[in-house]
Amino acid sequence: MAEVVAPIPGLVARVTVKVGETIKAGDTVVVLNVMKTEVNVQSDTAGVVREVRVKEWDEVDIGTVLVVLDEK
Amino acid sequence: MTSPYKVLIANRGEIAVRVIKTCRKMGLRTVAVYSDADVGALHVRLADESFHLGPANPLKSYLNIERLCEAIERTKADLVHPGYGFLAENAEFARAVTRLGVRWVGPPADVMEKLASKTYSRKMAREAGLPIIPGTLEPVSEQQLEQVVNQIGFPILIKPDRGGGGKGTKLIRSHAELNSEIFRSAAREAQYGFGRPDLYVEKLLDQPRHIEVQILADEFGNVYALGERECTIQRRYQKIIEEAPSPVISEESRRYIYDLAKRYAEKVGYVNAGTVEMLRDSSGQFYFLEINKRIQVEHPVTELTTGIDIVELQLRVALGEELPLKTDMKPVGHAIECRIYAEDPKNFMPSPGRITEFSQPLDGSVRLDHALEAGAVISPYYDPLIAKAISYGENREESRKRMVDYLQKLKIDGVKTNIPFLLAILESDNFRVGDFYTNWVNDVLENGGFPIP
Repeated sequence: MAEVVAPIPGLVARVTVKVGETIKAGDTVVVLNVMKTEVNVQSDTAGVVREVRVKEWDEVDIGTVLVVLDEK
Repeated sequence: MTSPYKVLIANRGEIAVRVIKTCRKMGLRTVAVYSDADVGALHVRLADESFHLGPANPLKSYLNIERLCEAIERTKADLVHPGYGFLAENAEFARAVTRLGVRWVGPPADVMEKLASKTYSRKMAREAGLPIIPGTLEPVSEQQLEQVVNQIGFPILIKPDRGGGGKGTKLIRSHAELNSEIFRSAAREAQYGFGRPDLYVEKLLDQPRHIEVQILADEFGNVYALGERECTIQRRYQKIIEEAPSPVISEESRRYIYDLAKRYAEKVGYVNAGTVEMLRDSSGQFYFLEINKRIQVEHPVTELTTGIDIVELQLRVALGEELPLKTDMKPVGHAIECRIYAEDPKNFMPSPGRITEFSQPLDGSVRLDHALEAGAVISPYYDPLIAKAISYGENREESRKRMVDYLQKLKIDGVKTNIPFLLAILESDNFRVGDFYTNWVNDVLENGGFPIP
């Protein structure tokens, strides 16, 4: 199991993956709006999305878990 | 002398502080509003009263019209100054304020509403006899695009009719790039960003400069031009450095663009402070771009070169007074504004955080508009603009040198800032001689970038 966490505080602008989706390392999973700039949060590992913990307009802090993956 | 009026400032940060300062000078009482992220912030402490709006998320605080109206009613404010950004150009908010019997410090709501459409604004410009950039006067469908291109040629820009800040704008250079996917994705972005999918077309000009005219109009039909501003130094459509006067404008061109700006203001029934933005192409021809219906971030360069407090005149016009001016103003001396952003100077990643140290050099020729202090939190929820340094000199080079000296000594610790990036631009050969165009910074960044230590 792997977690993708927010590297910076901000607002969730978009979630770009769905539960069950297979993703590659480097894929964007969430787009954060930080100071009105969009920041892509990418997964370091490949895997299948098990859980999406945030939704649009959620406020997140550094380290907030955004997405949980089952590693491949 | 204390005036009976109370002004609610529907904003935060440096612009809220700046508006409060003028209100205080005029003897007007002030109400600050704030979110959870701004408890104890400078603008809140400086105001006579304050009202808590809600959570840090701007949709629930500074963009929450219902809650702001509650603040206005509870504090019995007589005027609302919206600053820039947030709801400053939102006609619905202006109308809601007016319905409460409160004075809106800006143009009438119905004028704002109509001018929110770029194609309507372009139509008005044409009717008033202003040159407009070749393109469409109505939103276009994907099918009509081909025909438009046959008329005006490539390259073109597809822009949201109700857009701003370059969001959703697409550059198309040739037939090969013109496909339905690019049109649909522009429409999606326009819908997402501005609530409407409408798109229109403008021809891309050859290496233009952005030059704008500050106007002030009152309810008695007086319209004055207060000077032009050169805002060509931009990165991704965001202005970075502005100056007044423009280094490339002759007295004759100045009179010409003043006339265009004033004709436009009269045509649309404009009241209060506004800015008519224009592009000047490489041949020196001016084109109407759009009108900004608010106080602008870069207004201080006009204030330093005219001696006018624009916010004071905005408030006087909103109170129904006649403008105390006799003629248009001409810039005297030279002012440069640098926008200080909380961002990495090398990769432009935003840098929220807490200010650990803030100290500014003692230099009477540089004004710093800011809401900074040690311990202040630079929130991830709001604009990265944290301060504006505005230098003044008898001429451009004196102003530039003072700015360089000032920025080298200005200390803002705890967050990264773009100060090294600003210094690199100010010290570049192109900036020194005033040789640049709107895409110049982007072009330099794509070809090795600026020397940043």
